[in-house]
Amino acid sequence: MTWKILIVEDDADTARYIAQGLTQEGHVVDVVQDGRDGLFQASSGLFDLVILDRMMPGMDGLSALRALRASGVQTPVLVLSALATVDERISGLEAGADDYLVKPFYFSELMARAGVLMRRQRTAGEAVETRITVGDLEIDCLKRLVRRSSQTIDLQPREYKLLEFLARNEGRVVTRTMLIERVWDYHFDPGTNVVDVHISRLRRKIDAGFERPLLHTIRGAGYRLSAEA
Amino acid sequence: MRLPPIPTTLRIAALTMLLVLCSNLALLGFIHARTYDDRLSPLRRQVIADARALSDVQASGGEPELSGAIEDMLAADSSELTIGLFDRDGRLLAGNIKAAERKPADRKADFQILSVVLRDGRRGEAGVVVSNLKGGGWLESGRLLGEPLALQRTLERALMISLALSLLFGLVCAVILVHFVRRRVRAIGRAVDDFGHRDLDLRAPTNGSGDVFDTLAERINAMLDRIARLMAELRTLTDSLAHDLRSPVGRLQTKVEQALTVEDPDERNAVLASVMAEANTLTHMLTTVLEIGRYEALASREQFGWLDPAELLDELADLYSPVLDEAGIMLETARTGPLVPLFGHRQLLAQAISNLLENALNHGAIGGAVCLFAEQRGESQHIGVADRGPGIAPEQMDHALRRFGRLDESRSRPGMGLGLTLVQAIAHLHDGTLELTGNEPGLKAALRLPVKAHRALDSEIQRP
Repeated sequence: MTWKILIVEDDADTARYIAQGLTQEGHVVDVVQDGRDGLFQASSGLFDLVILDRMMPGMDGLSALRALRASGVQTPVLVLSALATVDERISGLEAGADDYLVKPFYFSELMARAGVLMRRQRTAGEAVETRITVGDLEIDCLKRLVRRSSQTIDLQPREYKLLEFLARNEGRVVTRTMLIERVWDYHFDPGTNVVDVHISRLRRKIDAGFERPLLHTIRGAGYRLSAEA
Repeated sequence: MRLPPIPTTLRIAALTMLLVLCSNLALLGFIHARTYDDRLSPLRRQVIADARALSDVQASGGEPELSGAIEDMLAADSSELTIGLFDRDGRLLAGNIKAAERKPADRKADFQILSVVLRDGRRGEAGVVVSNLKGGGWLESGRLLGEPLALQRTLERALMISLALSLLFGLVCAVILVHFVRRRVRAIGRAVDDFGHRDLDLRAPTNGSGDVFDTLAERINAMLDRIARLMAELRTLTDSLAHDLRSPVGRLQTKVEQALTVEDPDERNAVLASVMAEANTLTHMLTTVLEIGRYEALASREQFGWLDPAELLDELADLYSPVLDEAGIMLETARTGPLVPLFGHRQLLAQAISNLLENALNHGAIGGAVCLFAEQRGESQHIGVADRGPGIAPEQMDHALRRFGRLDESRSRPGMGLGLTLVQAIAHLHDGTLELTGNEPGLKAALRLPVKAHRALDSEIQRP
């Protein structure tokens, strides 16, 4: 599936690096180099995603973002910035960003986050799914019940939240940082492999005893829940 | 048009003088109002009654009758009566007043107080009524004021003099006061100047009296402390960046060099992966150093809100219990007393406790148990982590809190010596401290946070 993506970034090298990567993934990319142009382009509402730098000539990223949101444009915006502290991130999200990624970053992390935003964009108009199925795994979001092959799986509240997030992003790579942010609402890196251990516990509950595993580890990137290997 | 600004010292001086003057005036007024009228009004009534009686006599019988009546009255009671009938040249015709030089202005029929000299030698003040007679003579009748009233008059006169003196004293008082004020303020100003120009250790003098100048000096000292601390922070930061970032950058260089020489693609990938890991560590390190700097500068309090410490600990216990479980460490939680809500930064407090848990996991795993505790102790709340590992020797605790301060025993293990420094910076941001104590055996690391508002109700807690 092809997305139309706007990159607003004044550093030519970074912009080229992201644009190249996204073009290779088959997306259409426009690049502008200052905040004012970025705001002008993004206001058209023709993009599926805006990747926005913060410190730029003309107009800084967050001001552009606020102006964009004030004018009613709901295009998903991923802020990409070297301003890394928790408070900077929170202020980015409060300005209307859908996600905040800190530079330096890995392209895989950017793609994973962009993927989640796109899914949200596509399903924005629809009602939230109350029933998710991944292969033979069924999740009843209202009763918080999980079954696999009609066998009920007993999950702790946090494990359920983890599974639901993975399931809502079925087939997409979800990184450790994203899980920490979305499932635990923490904006710091806990250091050790805390997320990995939670995942392996979840895996033991949903995959153990079944022939085909659903929860996959993607080396150097994160995790993916899908029926296909 | 605006008046030029009046110097504060001048205002203080003027105010002091004015207040001294007012207090004397008030005293004078009080004495006058309180006693004078009480004693004087019966006298006034009597004097007026006497004068009226005499003028009645004069009206009915003329001057001879009047002289007779005066002699009668004086014969009946001569202790305080003062009566004199004078002709137009001021010669006494009848009565007990020796002589009187009454100015025409004094010769009025109203009650007034005048000084009199009597024929028997007594002199003093008397309340009198003077009535002019046909032919230019006059009749003066009155009563001596008597002891208490005379005293009263003396007192009043003394007070009037003291009023003049009070202006002088007020002036002296004002000058002294202004001198004191100026001296204290100058001392503070000098200390600030010296701090700026010479020595960051200098502080404004305080005398422990707790007065406004002391408070001002203390405030200024607190500010100077903070400036000095920030300067020191900046110095350590630049020093540590210069020294301690060399080694990871060096490792990075070595690995890149290594990657360039390796022929085998698989092996090269492995080396590149470790280059990536090294770069990650470096990025993490830079972010952490930056965060420490920010929190020590107390720069980010916009995100503060009310939070429930118990909930904070529960969430962290939830995050860490699988990892600890996997490492064979038992996680206990201990809470003493009812915990009041904290005013703080949820993310940062969580990060701080997460760092402490990481520390316990990395250095205290041998102990087999980790305790996540929260205690209410008077004005402060202690939240932290205790392990049963080898702990830190008391003399090394300061070193453990220092930026990049890694203890020799842990050099071989991963880490960059910033964890506890970050926790400490977060504690400082919350006006608290990080306390390291022995846990016999093990290490007990506690964030000691002041309890801000006791009145905060549970309903006020904002949950993000």
